[in-house]
Amino acid sequence: MDEFQEILQDFLVESFELVEKLDEDLVELENTPEDLELLNGIFRVAHTVKGASSFLNFDVLTHLTHHMEDVLNKARHGELVITPNIMDVVLESIDLMKALLNTIRDTSSDAGIDVEACVIKLDKISGGDGDVPVVESAPVVEEKPVQVEVVETTPEAEEDEIDYDNMDADEIEAEIERLLNQRQEEDKAKRAAKVAAGEAVPSLPPEPDSEEAKTKAETKVESKPAPKPVPVTPKPKAKSKETKSGDTKAAAPAKRAPAQVEQTIRVDVKRLDHLMNLIGELVLAKNRLIKINDDVEERYEGEEFLEELNQVVSIVSLVTTDLQIAVMKTRMLPIGKVFNKFPRMIRDLTRELNKKIELEISGEETELDKSIVEEIGDPLVHIIRNSCDHGIEQPDVRIANDKDETGTIKLKAYNEGNAIVIQIDDDGKGLDTNMLKNKSLENGIITEKEADSMNDKDAFTLIFRPGFSTAAEVTNVSGRGVGMDVVKTNIEKLNGIIDIDSEVGKGTSIKLKIPLTLAIIQALLVGVQEEYYAIPLSSVLETVRISNEEIYTVENRSVMRLRSEVLSLVHIGDIFEVDRILDTSGYSYVVVLGLGAQKLGLIVDSLVGQEEIVIKSLGDYLKGIEGVAGATIRGDGGVTLIVDVVALMQIAKGVKASAKTAQASVAQISNEKTKASDYKIMIVDDSKTDRMIMRKALEPLGVTLIEANDGQEALNTLKSGEHNFDAMLIDIEMPRMDGYSLAGEIKKYNKYKNLPLIAVTSRTGKSDRMRGVESGMVEYITKPYSADYLSSVVQRNVNFKSEFL
Amino acid sequence: MSDKLKQIINKQSEQQDVGLDQSEDIVQLVGFIIGEEEYAVPILTIQEIIKPISWTRVPQTPQYVLGVFNLRGSVIPLIDLRVKFGLASKNHNDETRFFVLKQGDEVAGFVIDRLTAAIRIKKSDIGPPPDTIASEDSMIEGVGKQDGRILTILKVNKLLARDF
Repeated sequence: MDEFQEILQDFLVESFELVEKLDEDLVELENTPEDLELLNGIFRVAHTVKGASSFLNFDVLTHLTHHMEDVLNKARHGELVITPNIMDVVLESIDLMKALLNTIRDTSSDAGIDVEACVIKLDKISGGDGDVPVVESAPVVEEKPVQVEVVETTPEAEEDEIDYDNMDADEIEAEIERLLNQRQEEDKAKRAAKVAAGEAVPSLPPEPDSEEAKTKAETKVESKPAPKPVPVTPKPKAKSKETKSGDTKAAAPAKRAPAQVEQTIRVDVKRLDHLMNLIGELVLAKNRLIKINDDVEERYEGEEFLEELNQVVSIVSLVTTDLQIAVMKTRMLPIGKVFNKFPRMIRDLTRELNKKIELEISGEETELDKSIVEEIGDPLVHIIRNSCDHGIEQPDVRIANDKDETGTIKLKAYNEGNAIVIQIDDDGKGLDTNMLKNKSLENGIITEKEADSMNDKDAFTLIFRPGFSTAAEVTNVSGRGVGMDVVKTNIEKLNGIIDIDSEVGKGTSIKLKIPLTLAIIQALLVGVQEEYYAIPLSSVLETVRISNEEIYTVENRSVMRLRSEVLSLVHIGDIFEVDRILDTSGYSYVVVLGLGAQKLGLIVDSLVGQEEIVIKSLGDYLKGIEGVAGATIRGDGGVTLIVDVVALMQIAKGVKASAKTAQASVAQISNEKTKASDYKIMIVDDSKTDRMIMRKALEPLGVTLIEANDGQEALNTLKSGEHNFDAMLIDIEMPRMDGYSLAGEIKKYNKYKNLPLIAVTSRTGKSDRMRGVESGMVEYITKPYSADYLSSVVQRNVNFKSEFL
Repeated sequence: MSDKLKQIINKQSEQQDVGLDQSEDIVQLVGFIIGEEEYAVPILTIQEIIKPISWTRVPQTPQYVLGVFNLRGSVIPLIDLRVKFGLASKNHNDETRFFVLKQGDEVAGFVIDRLTAAIRIKKSDIGPPPDTIASEDSMIEGVGKQDGRILTILKVNKLLARDF
């Protein structure tokens, strides 16, 4: 059972790979029906699947592929010319084959799909009478196949005749052994032929892969121990004696040579994921090491061992980075895997829409992380369907507009820095911004005011709004107003950026910029109050420092002018509910975030820097928190949350003009005093008596007094943000944390820079005073003191208004 | 393949059953104090107990979710049981501990006021929760009596379940 499952798994993996290739080959075949190499390749796929499925007892699949094979076999012997109509039937059969493979994958059986209708059509074609159901004039070649040529001396021919069902285990074993031997002999012969064939002929890209994959498939199914078939040469499937194709045949093995040199090994994705996780841990450890190195450097400046340590740290960090890249590369797949399905799609669409469209693909060798390759397919399908349906005009319209009758869609991928760009260009009618706005108004997606204030770029992005559709009616191809919304959501999920450019009458260009990998990213670390957040660098366009006066309020939203643009602003504290205890500096930093085509300015208190971070999940308990994409562990062992830029943009829409008002209100709290009790003073002393004495001295003023037992408690009270203190009276000698340390701690925080700290102590030495000043105390009162003196010092330091007296 | 897996799973569950059989009469718990009350959770659900370390606040969460902390490379949520049980939060002191509870894939840290002890208690000494609070949603598994003290035994799955 297990062994069967294993074979089945291999069979499925290989079959899916083959079928994927098939689509592309078939469409190409339609353009070049004479291409024998291509035909042979396609035939072999059908044949392989047939062979394997009969071995695995999938009767329906065998039945179907057998008839496909018949048709293709005729075609490759020139007895049948592939017309679009025949191609339709062949494609239909391939779709059925896919469906069957899916069913097999899910249920381990191929029952439940009716292939009979398709088989009949295939039969009609291969019957050779030209009576294809939908054919107008299928130029089917009538001659009967020359038997000698069709029945090749390859094992498959015999395979087909052998009834595996009636074999017992030993016989099957023997048969496998026999086939294996046969194969090996053939390989030898083939290799010899290859050497004889000499130099290469212009190569056909899809061919080597399918050939190689196919070889793998067969080897796996037929020989149980299945060593990697790298050195195994593809067997001579079509040893046709026809002189016409003889040249091509002989040359074929030579051009496959590169594929054989490339040694591959199939690895479970889980193992790669595990490896990636481990590398993630290593990167975190490296970050920590670098931080410790910095600290050590600071403390032991000039020591000899530092240099050695530095060297080790830099080697470790270098190797870690290289290792990370290397592992990342193992997870990379060429984007061609996704691009492959588009020629077929375009072909179907052109027939459906009665348009003439050509697809040009370039850069399919560009590599992307596996997880991204999986996610990118759907958005591309939607964009290309959209281009076909809305972009490219009908042929008559195109001719009328002085354009080539055939529209072109260019699909290309290339690397740009740490990202990959996928660009989809069409030479269709382009996006008409006025039309977009009007449609959006009609559908209630935007208001008239919004429409007026939109520039062209903004208007282009309207096509990504859910519910937006320009199609007058819902067709099979598009018009439901969901497709482009899916594009946006998926690309944003990948931290990607969408850029649209369009010119009416000339065409549209959509660029998708996607980071290379997902697990380890570059991030900008920002600070707000005492908290830090990491923003994926791929979403950061730039950072600017602005003064608070540069923030304007327009229509109840905070905005700023960034060069010629108006940028809406939101304070990160409003999104993450950060209590803004104090905010004294007149400057803010604005991180300009770009996502898709949207922009947003995020106000933060400080910029910490750029760091490589490893994304960790917050776990089930905290998942789905709006605005938080995950967490990462920093060099100091602390946890920093990663901003979910997509969600943040969404939340920002609901935040009104707070960027400025909140700051204003903070200022108000700290400045405006309407009554004496608005003044808050903290008394920090470990002696209850001393605290009582101070309280007695200050109570007459009517100010609010809060007490703390020691430095630690005082610091916690201050940091809790419950109160806004105007001054602190601090004893020097206290348990846990003394007055100097407390003052030092407080002054570390920017926002307490102007908080007056008054030392109240019995230490009278000059050095004590000096230390007090050094640690940031503004006044130094020595015990004993008179109540009036204390009161006056406090009044002076908090700017106590005399009218409250 | 799936058959093999099934066998393994079966075997494991059998072993678990055996384990339960042996300890049927005695339950091992760890007791702790929150506010004035003593609570307990089964000892096997505790991954570890650590002294308070720094944590990072997570926005848009209820008051009792303090945030997340780093436990040897894992990011784990931290929940203040005082606040969760409707008491005022309290500054952490020398006796405060983080209880890291684990069940299946769910892990979370809980702030408790003070540890008491590991407790072995007979199953027969554990009664059901009072009728007034016994319900599916209740966090109370049962009430244990030992040496004149009363232990409220908590349902770990309820503690680890997100309820916001």
